[in-house]
Amino acid sequence: MSKKSVELVVLNPRGKVEARSAFAPNPRVKDLAGKRVGLYSNGKPGMDNFYIVFEELLKKKFPTVTVKLLTGSFEITDRDAKDWAPQIDTFIYAVGD
Amino acid sequence: MAGTVKLEKLGIPGVFMVCNTFADDARSAAADNGMPTVRRREISSAEFYKLRGDVKTIRPLVEGIFDALTNALTSPLTPEEAKPVQDKKGGDDLPAEIAVKAESYRVALEEFNQLYLDKRWGDGLPLIPPTPDALKWMLSGTSRNPYEVLGTINPKHGIATIEKIAINAVMAGAKPQYLPVIIAAMEALADETFDDLHILASAGSFNLLLVVSGPIAEEIGMEAGIGFMGHGWRANNTIGRAIRLSTLNIGHTWPGINDMALTGRLSPHTFYTFSENTELSPWKPYHASRGFRADDSCVTVAPIHGESQLQHFYGGMIGTWTAQGVLDRIVEDLLRGSRRGLFMWGTKGVGKYPGSGGGSMNHMIILFPELALEFKKMGYDQKSLQDEIYKRVSVPYDELNPAEKKSIQTAMELGVVPAERKPVFQAALKPGAMVPLLMSPENLHLFVAGGVPGCAFSFNYYRIPPYNQTALMTRLITGATLTKAGATGGKNVPYGA
Amino acid sequence: MNKKTVSAKSEKVELEVLNPRGKIEAVPASSPSPRLTALDGKTIGLYSNSKPGMDNFYTVFEELLKKKYPTVKVKSMRGAFLIRDDDVRTLAKEADAFVYGVGD
Repeated sequence: MSKKSVELVVLNPRGKVEARSAFAPNPRVKDLAGKRVGLYSNGKPGMDNFYIVFEELLKKKFPTVTVKLLTGSFEITDRDAKDWAPQIDTFIYAVGD
Repeated sequence: MAGTVKLEKLGIPGVFMVCNTFADDARSAAADNGMPTVRRREISSAEFYKLRGDVKTIRPLVEGIFDALTNALTSPLTPEEAKPVQDKKGGDDLPAEIAVKAESYRVALEEFNQLYLDKRWGDGLPLIPPTPDALKWMLSGTSRNPYEVLGTINPKHGIATIEKIAINAVMAGAKPQYLPVIIAAMEALADETFDDLHILASAGSFNLLLVVSGPIAEEIGMEAGIGFMGHGWRANNTIGRAIRLSTLNIGHTWPGINDMALTGRLSPHTFYTFSENTELSPWKPYHASRGFRADDSCVTVAPIHGESQLQHFYGGMIGTWTAQGVLDRIVEDLLRGSRRGLFMWGTKGVGKYPGSGGGSMNHMIILFPELALEFKKMGYDQKSLQDEIYKRVSVPYDELNPAEKKSIQTAMELGVVPAERKPVFQAALKPGAMVPLLMSPENLHLFVAGGVPGCAFSFNYYRIPPYNQTALMTRLITGATLTKAGATGGKNVPYGA
Repeated sequence: MNKKTVSAKSEKVELEVLNPRGKIEAVPASSPSPRLTALDGKTIGLYSNSKPGMDNFYTVFEELLKKKYPTVKVKSMRGAFLIRDDDVRTLAKEADAFVYGVGD
């Protein structure tokens, strides 16, 4: 067995990342009947078509559901989030990618 | 992902839907945004991109994922989801110093390189081992405190210290006298107003232009003549590589995980790093136009579009040229591109700021020295040339279609047109007037670089980037200990000044 | 056996490294052909590799040549970047001397 006679001490080049507190997602809604479902799109091609079909299927399965569609920036702005949140009970956030 | 977490934090349960090619990126982003167990559902990339064009064609895909999406909203959180593991360490799990033991230096070097590549700490080319000695040597190039924090680098908000930058500079093969340049560039990228996220992570394979101007360039041996953007020059190439490695390691990015550049970037190891040719330029250096002193040394960091966007204006050896002819070609190119983008002015944009990620552009135009000299003979300096190009990149109001007129009008209402530019566009939106297609002459950035003969070309990028305020920044080089230039003097000019 | 810590600053280290350059076979050096004693009555080949501007250059050059040497004849030839073999043979047969301009 060859002797390991050379030791190369090298430095870690990685930037330190502050450990973040991990939050749990919110408890789910019990079911979708009568709920207001938000459909968020970041505007990328195809999301509009996806949501047209999705909304159709949703209303077919849950006739009392209400849908609130919002197309916005890549990351929903603080203002849009604050305005939209009170109007919905649950949401899908899709990025068309 | 950040948007999903934002909504969850407002108390609304939701699900993030993404294509499967972005699955690793989504997982990584969930942790970065403090909600590692956010509900995610994936759809097939291969199907989504192909079928999304039409409601009829996308239907089977939506039907296929419908139950998974609705269940994500209603099925109770699992215990693991409800109590996510707290990340106590942050970042990577290896210590500050690592000992690589082997039977010979050759083997140790190979094992070091393999280790760093396995950890995704390298760029695919062999690295110089960043030993404590080498770090000390590298830090001899700056008077700045190694523990000084410049800011953070996306996507993982890694903390950029002088020390970490110096370690990456060693790995890149840089010399200590280059370090102040590298630090200044990283200051820009780490600035809290600078959008580094889009260029480091986007699928669009965006790139970076890194331009050094001022006396330090010659002092550290940057090549500014023929081949100035190519291989062969240690300063040009290792400065770029150091910045590349710094963003990779401090930002914790990796191709296909959270750096989603689909093709990768051209000049992938060094970005496009070069210096102005101060010796042959008839004008003041670029940074003087940004409010710095002419004798300062600065670095300008400018994101650019990916490979498709370099526009060549010829000159030099390619054909017979006149300065007027090249100027006409520049104007023609800007007219064409800017007219195409006019309809996007009046949109909210893809980010926080109105007009972000679309509409008007910054144009970085590289002029070869002979051309600059000819422009000077025609009576131009940088400012008057900017003004001339700006004036000519305009169309008669009467030639605009209704949608274009509305777009500019809406842009003014939304604040996409900055307040100080509104009077210009208000005056232009009248019959008989000329309507500028560039927001301001200041969005034309003229650099003099290259040798004799040379050529002129340009890059562009969004004036307002998708994820932050700034997409172009010039920083003063300071703290240099091994060169006369870059030691002291001058002051950084705040963004927007 | 002594452990070599590469990062230690006190030891001298010898690194033997190898030459990475490709070997080039030495090409025998030939001398150019003997010069003409004069240009009068001679045929001068003007070869252009067709790059922009060479035609204009040669237009003026031919004019000056004929002005200074009224009995000179000119054989103009536009060809490839590297003159083709058949063009070499033609020019060698028809010209007494030549100018090879590459427009670069």
